[in-house]
Amino acid sequence: MHQITARVVENKEITRDIFRLTLFAPAVARESKPGQFVHLQCGVNQSYILRRPFSVHQTVGVDAFDVLIRVVGDGTKWLAARRPKDSVNLIGPLGRGFTIGAELKRALIVAGGMGVAPLVFLALKLAEEKVKVYTVMGAASKDQLLDFMDLKRLTRKIAVSTDDGSQGHKGLVTDILGKEIEEADPDVVFACGPLAMLRAVAGISRRYSTSCQMSLEARMACGVGACLGCTVGAKDNYLKVCSDGPVFDTQELGW
Amino acid sequence: MGSLEVDIAGLKMKNPVTTASGTYGSGKEYSDLIDINRLGAICVKTVTLKPMSGNPPPRLWETPSGMLNSIGLQNDGVEAFIDNDLPFLSKQDIPVIVSIAGTSIDDFSRLAKMLSAQSDIDALELNISCPNAKVGGMIFGSDEKLAAEVVSKTKMASTKPLIVKLTPNTGDISAIARACERAGADGLSLINTVYGMSVEVDTLKPRLGSIVGGLSGPAIKPIAVRMVWEVAKVVNIPIIGMGGILTAEDALEFIIAGASGVAVGTANFIDPQAPIKIIDGMNKFLEKHGVSSIQDLVGALKIDS
Ligand SMILES: Cc1cc2nc3c(=O)[nH]c(=O)nc-3n(C[C@H](O)[C@H](O)[C@H](O)COP(=O)(O)OP(=O)(O)OC[C@H]3O[C@@H](n4cnc5c(N)ncnc54)[C@H](O)[C@@H]3O)c2cc1C
Ligand SMILES: Cc1cc2nc3c(=O)[nH]c(=O)nc-3n(C[C@H](O)[C@H](O)[C@H](O)COP(=O)(O)O)c2cc1C
Ligand code: FES
Repeated sequence: MHQITARVVENKEITRDIFRLTLFAPAVARESKPGQFVHLQCGVNQSYILRRPFSVHQTVGVDAFDVLIRVVGDGTKWLAARRPKDSVNLIGPLGRGFTIGAELKRALIVAGGMGVAPLVFLALKLAEEKVKVYTVMGAASKDQLLDFMDLKRLTRKIAVSTDDGSQGHKGLVTDILGKEIEEADPDVVFACGPLAMLRAVAGISRRYSTSCQMSLEARMACGVGACLGCTVGAKDNYLKVCSDGPVFDTQELGW
Repeated sequence: MGSLEVDIAGLKMKNPVTTASGTYGSGKEYSDLIDINRLGAICVKTVTLKPMSGNPPPRLWETPSGMLNSIGLQNDGVEAFIDNDLPFLSKQDIPVIVSIAGTSIDDFSRLAKMLSAQSDIDALELNISCPNAKVGGMIFGSDEKLAAEVVSKTKMASTKPLIVKLTPNTGDISAIARACERAGADGLSLINTVYGMSVEVDTLKPRLGSIVGGLSGPAIKPIAVRMVWEVAKVVNIPIIGMGGILTAEDALEFIIAGASGVAVGTANFIDPQAPIKIIDGMNKFLEKHGVSSIQDLVGALKIDS
């Protein structure tokens, strides 16, 4: 874990209101694992004060990494306005990422909307480990299917759903997930996306007796496990999303 | 160079800066990011006799210049604290303040007794001010008689200096402060969070799982400075001031208003270097103004008559 004032290498609007921000931070690029996140200070000002968490999207070379940012409020607006040579103070890499078991042979990735952010990095690692990867991906519409080409390249099969039917199945990822699980027969499902989707993915995976890891979101203050503000209810206690997660096995959560 | 050394309730601190309970875990969480040993002291998350699971999420909501929290004193209990957290703290060479809370006076006494047996603990902070715990907590801190009783009973059970943490959520904080002093408190710390609430209008729902929570951060600083000033006028025991301190200048406001020490809370979330920057900034201030000791600034507020 490091605190670094990182120089902006590039900040590119890849589709409307979604930016890919590349930061120069060798230690973070070197140490990050898929599913971990960075806690970004979005300027110093009087109106909002807390850092904002973002998944490490990919490492860029050996010295930099990027994050995918959807502009939803003041903090993300500030990040979207960064230009090369500006700097961003960050803490990272943080949290527990996805666990890739030594005996893992087949994996299914489920990406919903911005939830795709940590999953290309994961697919890359899985490919390195010679795991057979399948992907199910959903978004509002075709132009919101981020990283589609990268995921397509890294996986044996990619199934798509869009809310408006502009690509693939018209509807939700969870409509087509069961069929894809049957086809891919994965040892594990890795998922990231909106909470409702994750809940449904947990249920479907359970029905197929497939183990399932998912990356959760929670509002955070410290990001390092000190404040106990980001908890999620597990079976009989509360777990910290920032340091026990953000990736959890659904069994730990009792989902 | 001026001296930042202070003595608070018998704690020899190399500078007046400590951490605010509950914002710093047990210190370990931040030890990768800052050199903990530069702090004047460390105050750890409140511990209770039995484990507490805390309040239902969501527990955080960011507000203009501040944040609401409703953690609810989640902790693994005093035994787990002694086994798992204290060994790390023992290895640091700064004073360790352990914050305690209970649901009955007996809880406080038992905690004080157990923790007094630990040589690596330097002081206890009595949290009678948590707005987030259903029982006890703030109830003790908003009633003079109860506050005095819990302080005197805990004092009897303890061999460590006793700092009492006060809540701003009371009618007359000076009266409570005086009652604690009379009952044997060695120091006071203030303020805990300010009771608050936020509503999400589209869903008609409260933002926090427990509906209400505590406001911290810069938004509460003027309230905190005012309370330190009021309390300092009526007690003779040292005060640790806190509430929205982000910078050395913020910290100095508290000191000039009458605090001997300061605690950094929410600022750690914003910038883990904040305590270090505050210490460095205080040093610069002393130098710039030719002040030989930070103690000369305690309560140095100038009021034109
Ligand atoms: C582990 C983790 C990884 C994330 N990864 C990404 C990512 O890769 N790309 C991306 O675009 N977004 C990601 N998010 C969500 C991102 O943190 C929020 O969109 C961002 O904090 C919004 O800030 P804002 O000031 O623009 O919005 P505002 O709504 O103005 O923020 C107000 C407050 O709420 C918090 N907040 C708002 N939305 C969220 C949310 N969904 N999750 C947590 N806190 C929130 C903010 O941090 C801030 O404290 C992630 C969240 C978590 C917890
Ligand atoms: C997330 C969080 C958790 C807290 N937990 C505790 C606690 O366990 N015990 C306690 O005495 N105060 C607790 N506090 C209050 C702080 O110690 C401090 O009194 C208050 O936040 C004001 O200081 P600040 O504005 O610098 O944060 C907590 C505050 C926050 C923000
Ligand atoms: S954000 Fe503080 S414990 Fe997770």
